[in-house]
Amino acid sequence: MTARSVSWTDPASVAQLLARASAPRRAAVPTFALANASSAARPMPRPAPVVAAVVAEAPAPRAITIPPPTRIKSQFPAPKLVQTSDNPSDCLDALLAWTLDHQRCTGAFIADENGLTLAAHGISEAHVSLVGPLLSALVSVRMIPGIDATAGALWLGNSMMSWVESRNDRGGFCLGTLGSEPLSSRAFDQLKEALEVTVRRL
Amino acid sequence: MIDTKLLDSAVQDLRNVLRDGLIATDIWDRIAGLSLAGFNQQPVAVALFTRITTELESSLTDSQFPPLARYYLLDMEGNHTVAVVNHGALLQGILVDNKRANLGILISVAIPRMLETVARAQAAR
Repeated sequence: MTARSVSWTDPASVAQLLARASAPRRAAVPTFALANASSAARPMPRPAPVVAAVVAEAPAPRAITIPPPTRIKSQFPAPKLVQTSDNPSDCLDALLAWTLDHQRCTGAFIADENGLTLAAHGISEAHVSLVGPLLSALVSVRMIPGIDATAGALWLGNSMMSWVESRNDRGGFCLGTLGSEPLSSRAFDQLKEALEVTVRRL
Repeated sequence: MIDTKLLDSAVQDLRNVLRDGLIATDIWDRIAGLSLAGFNQQPVAVALFTRITTELESSLTDSQFPPLARYYLLDMEGNHTVAVVNHGALLQGILVDNKRANLGILISVAIPRMLETVARAQAAR
């Protein structure tokens, strides 16, 4: 190599080229790049003012639009469900709407113990029908003393189904939600209470 | 005596539960073929389903199958579903539009409510 090329081992040349390439439009205010490039050649005389200058010369920050805080449903206590109608269909609709409004979910359903859909939104009947075999499987689990097993969560592969069960004289009913993660224990309590209030009117 | 007022209220309750999904219903005495309460009543259907139910029950018995319990369903053309409910001495036919009526509500809510109310109406005799 006869011709001398610009080399990173020559910090003075690099600093000079960089200074030319990014010629300052204002009075020479050292930037971090320049300061760092030249620091190998000579010690930075007063590092503190450099930082101060950079801060002072920094362009005005762009206005950042901060989105309004989104309401994370389960962080707030859901109001208790009050059923005002004696009509079972109205009660089921009210329960479904309450669930969608106050729980973290993308879908919700009410099914009987055989997995037959009574009301649903945002979830397929095929998914709801899982409730039938699920509740049947839990019958033997409930034989174990002290095990309630009337609520739970089931990973479906790409979403989480959370459910609670309540019974009346005519059989069992299940309220479930679909979301990215299982509901909290507090949410389970809320769902169960809402389902019990509804099931009493069916 | 059967409390026909209670039967009427049961039919009204059924209409409220199934809303516009309910097309017709009859509650009738299976021996006399007399309709005691109903909505959009269908005398031909009463005769037809009395005969079908009788045939079905005797066929089940002859085949040593378990007897008919609470109801049976027929899925028919034109989004029609018929549920025939066995109230013992009384039979009930429920014709629904299965695109409008939720079958889950029919089976898990409406039919159990009907069974209870009609049982109370018959207990009054």
